[in-house]
Amino acid sequence: MGWSMTHGTTDDARLGVAGTGAVLRRTFGYARAYRRAGVAAVGLLVLWTLTLLGGPLLVRHGIDEGIVKGDSGQLNLAIVMYVVLAFVSYASFRFAILQLAKVGEAFLRDMRTRVFDKLLHQSMAFFDREKAGVLVSRMTSDVDSLQELIQFGLIMFTSAALLLAGTTILLFLLSWKLMLLCLVAMPMVAAASFKFQRDSNEAYLLVRDRIADTLSGLQEGLSGVRVVQAFAREHVESARFSQANHDLYRTHMAAVRIQCWYLPIVEFAGAATTAVALGVGGWMVSEDAMTIGTIVAFILLLSSLFEPVQQLSQLFNMVQSATASLNKLYTLLDEPVLVADRPNAVVADGRSPITIEGVGFSYVGGGPVLSDVDLQIAAGERVAFVGPTGAGKSTLAKLIARFYDPTAGSIRLGDTDLRDISVRALRSEIVVVPQEGYLFSGSVAENIRVARPEASEAEVRDALDRIGVLERFETLPAGLDTEVEERGSRLSAGEKQLVSLARAALADPSVLILDEATSSVDPGTEAIVETAMETLMQGRTVIAIAHRLSTSQRCDRVAVVADGRLAELGTHDDLVAAGGQYASLYAAWVSGLGEHA
Amino acid sequence: MTHWTRIWLDEPVCACEVGARKGAVTLTMMTPGARQDKGDRLRSSADGVHGSSRRGWSLIATTAREEWVGIALGMLAGLLYTAGRVAVPLLIQLGLDRGVQEGGPLLPWSLAIVGAGLFSATFLGFRRYLAFRNARIIEARLRDRIFAHVQRLHFSFHDANATGELMSRGNTDLQHFQNFVTLVPLTFGNFLIVVTVTIIMLILQPLLALLALASLPLVNVLGRKFAQELNPAIMRVQQESAELATVVEESVSGVRVVKGFGSEPVQAEKLANEADDVHDAALASSAIRARYLPGMELLPSIGLITVLGYGGHLVLDGEMTVGELVSFNIYVIMLIQPLRMLGMIVANGQRASAAGVRIAEVLETAPAITDPATPTPLPRTGALGRVELRNVDFDYHPGATGAGVLRGLSLTIEPGESVALVGPTGSGKSTIARLLPRFYEADGGSIMIDGVDIQKIQRRELRKAVSIVFEETFLFSSSIRDNIAFADPEADLDAVVGAAALAGADEFIRELPEGYDTEIGERGFSLSGGQRQRIAIARAILADPRVLVLDDATSAVDPTKEHEIRDALGEVMERRTTIVIAHRPATIALADRVVLLVEGCIVASGTHEELLASSSRYREVLAADRDAEDGGAV
Repeated sequence: MGWSMTHGTTDDARLGVAGTGAVLRRTFGYARAYRRAGVAAVGLLVLWTLTLLGGPLLVRHGIDEGIVKGDSGQLNLAIVMYVVLAFVSYASFRFAILQLAKVGEAFLRDMRTRVFDKLLHQSMAFFDREKAGVLVSRMTSDVDSLQELIQFGLIMFTSAALLLAGTTILLFLLSWKLMLLCLVAMPMVAAASFKFQRDSNEAYLLVRDRIADTLSGLQEGLSGVRVVQAFAREHVESARFSQANHDLYRTHMAAVRIQCWYLPIVEFAGAATTAVALGVGGWMVSEDAMTIGTIVAFILLLSSLFEPVQQLSQLFNMVQSATASLNKLYTLLDEPVLVADRPNAVVADGRSPITIEGVGFSYVGGGPVLSDVDLQIAAGERVAFVGPTGAGKSTLAKLIARFYDPTAGSIRLGDTDLRDISVRALRSEIVVVPQEGYLFSGSVAENIRVARPEASEAEVRDALDRIGVLERFETLPAGLDTEVEERGSRLSAGEKQLVSLARAALADPSVLILDEATSSVDPGTEAIVETAMETLMQGRTVIAIAHRLSTSQRCDRVAVVADGRLAELGTHDDLVAAGGQYASLYAAWVSGLGEHA
Repeated sequence: MTHWTRIWLDEPVCACEVGARKGAVTLTMMTPGARQDKGDRLRSSADGVHGSSRRGWSLIATTAREEWVGIALGMLAGLLYTAGRVAVPLLIQLGLDRGVQEGGPLLPWSLAIVGAGLFSATFLGFRRYLAFRNARIIEARLRDRIFAHVQRLHFSFHDANATGELMSRGNTDLQHFQNFVTLVPLTFGNFLIVVTVTIIMLILQPLLALLALASLPLVNVLGRKFAQELNPAIMRVQQESAELATVVEESVSGVRVVKGFGSEPVQAEKLANEADDVHDAALASSAIRARYLPGMELLPSIGLITVLGYGGHLVLDGEMTVGELVSFNIYVIMLIQPLRMLGMIVANGQRASAAGVRIAEVLETAPAITDPATPTPLPRTGALGRVELRNVDFDYHPGATGAGVLRGLSLTIEPGESVALVGPTGSGKSTIARLLPRFYEADGGSIMIDGVDIQKIQRRELRKAVSIVFEETFLFSSSIRDNIAFADPEADLDAVVGAAALAGADEFIRELPEGYDTEIGERGFSLSGGQRQRIAIARAILADPRVLVLDDATSAVDPTKEHEIRDALGEVMERRTTIVIAHRPATIALADRVVLLVEGCIVASGTHEELLASSSRYREVLAADRDAEDGGAV
């Protein structure tokens, strides 16, 4: 396990105008549920922006109507208005933040659950195809970049845009001639902002990659420290890390340099236009074409012309990457669910024979994994699937559990095609037990309850008791409530397998598919696992993906899957006697276990 | 001039940091199975610092001193920037009063404003560049030091401290550190602005200055409180997001379990709960923003209203000029951001010093296993690879009640001999393996390689002489070829292929999409446990040690495949001293001699056959192991 942050973030493919439009339209579609709150939020933002523009106008009024004309009443009016304005500004800003957060966070929460539901209902083929890290990053870095936007980017972006528009209009209204002159600086700032936005985005992406490199270098250096020391390579690894670290420094500085030429340009543009406003405006006053209050308002407003430009150029990247993230999330939401309930899906009785008829399977765009498999498994029968790794035995078992649907032929439980049975009903009849027990964070009991969430404490204990391991787990520090911690580091590999078996006991299905573990566990626990497994198999149809001789020997029949076909089928003894593939596999096993058995 | 933009600007000092933080959240850690402790555990946690924060400050001081020229230049740039910035409102004032109102020339004032703007803009760039440059240099240098230092720290240190814990010191803590160092010159400039602007205003109109500025210190107070409340709230959002990420990660990694039991609804509900938590935490942090940000906006407005109200009447009374009124207006706005930043630096400093303590803790941990002052070289001629343990005592928890892992253990292995260590779990087999290359130091007795005490051998030489293959294989994220050639990156392909063939890995490697150039690890091709183990064995073979230790190194290899590599291993063992820790009788039988260990003592020694015949204990251990292997059915 390691970093997932580089996934799905380096592929920040920029969306075209059309793509962005589609994403926005869809977002508005989803946001319809919060339309009233959304409209209120935008309204408050507009109001707030207007109050920001009002201040300089009141100063102008105070100077022109009050001070210049010597009318203290007008001055006082301006002051009172200013006080009112300040409080309107306070209130509108405050409620805009709250309202926007309310809408944005609700949207995000719904997006999270929606995307996750979609993810969960994908077939196994989907999980085989997509890298886990990428899938996780959809729910983490992609949603987080939206979170970031909603937490502080959106309000800034919107208000910057509103303020820029409002200021431009206001300045034209105050004096369109002066404004035209001041706009001379605008192309320079606009060009610089455009270049800055592009360059800094590139620099930022590069920095992000280098951070990921450095961090994974750091993590590898730490996780692999024992190997590094074992081969006395400390100095080499340190030098290698130092190189990555230095690359990070250089990209950091490249990003800083971009800001270092851009920010001064905006700063200077502000001063230069102020100088124009003062010089030309002053001349216009002397020509009686303008009042002194207007110059003052002009000067005070000029900064809200350039700062929003700068803000927008900085925020643009945030908005852009949020749009890209949204696009990725929508792509995921559009992914068709391959294994889904048909209309009128039925329930089925697990205590029925399983018929595999002419089954073939291939992954999308891949060659055939299985072809023409015919096999009938009687209710209550135990069948072992054996064969070389990658020959298709696991795939066949997964088809029976309907992790995938076959691409040819059909599998029936009793008389019903698996595809006509509702997924939920099927899962309660056929359960797959991966033996390398995967643990979720939480207590032992919670981990067992994964199989049947509504099970009572007594039922969980009963499940453990039935496979004969209740005592072993009761003696843990907090009994069944012991937290398994960090991927179960507190439980041994064998205990994890026992949890897995207890889940199956709790689920109590009619058909059990056992995916046998390849790695060995400590001898004491292994014997217990064996016993538990034997108990669990009683009275059920069992399909065992066998890696061990003992398992296949214990089954009623053995099916050898090789090269995607059912190569041999029969009892253990028959197949050994027949001298085919199974017999040679058996011979290898026996010699592998030593002659002292 | 409106001041809204200033309110937000200082939230992230650099947007890039956000990505880094996110990375830390989704990090999943590799932890050693048992956290053994020889008193090596770092004492501070992410939540609290052990001991005084003075260590943190002193680390900040010493690292900053290395860059004092840059820091001084940054401050100088800040000073010049301030001068240009503060001059503009004064020039506007003079232009309005002398030029516009009195009808004097305007051009000089306009030109002066352009000049001052150019000046401040130039040094704005320099100030920013220098501030970040210094901070990034210090960050990079410290990270290098941390990495190099940690690489040299002994095994028991790493046993006691989780990877994630060290990661956070080499990343998050460094970020706090870097943020603070960046802020120092910026803060210096801000401080200058506050002081000069206040002085100018006081000189121009003392009473108006006092009235207008009265509310502004509250900006500082609010800014500080805002940061104090917002930071934990943001941490909570991140914490909740991390919990949500855990649910996602577990559901994706454990998708076979989820699908196998049809427990999608359970996971969906877990996620919905976490999403609610994130939602609530995010709303809470927005509520804090809503509480403080508008207030921080309102306070300067009060100052501006005072300027217009009281100042306006002063102008009416002829005691003040319109120009002064305008410059006051601009000055009040100019003070907001510096005052807020000054509030932030305190919180930042506290965080940086706490981070400094945690970093210092790592850097101050002395490597427990060091090179001898005058190393003795290993002999290079004659029969090489003799291993001798004399009366070795060892315990992972010295002082704890218990008998110790090894108790007075003595064992001699002749050059070229292969010995299998057999014994129940916890008997000390792996410990012996780990003592030979000095991963841990024996508590008593001595260990010799070719007649030289291992404490007298240079570590590099010792570890070249003794290679150990662990049961838990760690492979690096690079090509298979690089992984095998880890001990000797210069090795040519033939050597790599040769080593792989001896480890029984050549065949499957050739079947991989890009053969030996296939990238493995986190972002590459994923191999099975048995394949990984075989690559690890090849890596050790390529190192060509005089003593090779295989610590359960074939445990994950499919039993049906193991015989393939067993023949190859036999060849490897022919040529050098080998210690094998194994459970499978056929592997054990490869060794010239078997040593049976029980509770840290040797209870029997001899060939496999001899022990089978003579030791009931040996038969028991073997029987238990065999049951594990095949379920006792054969």
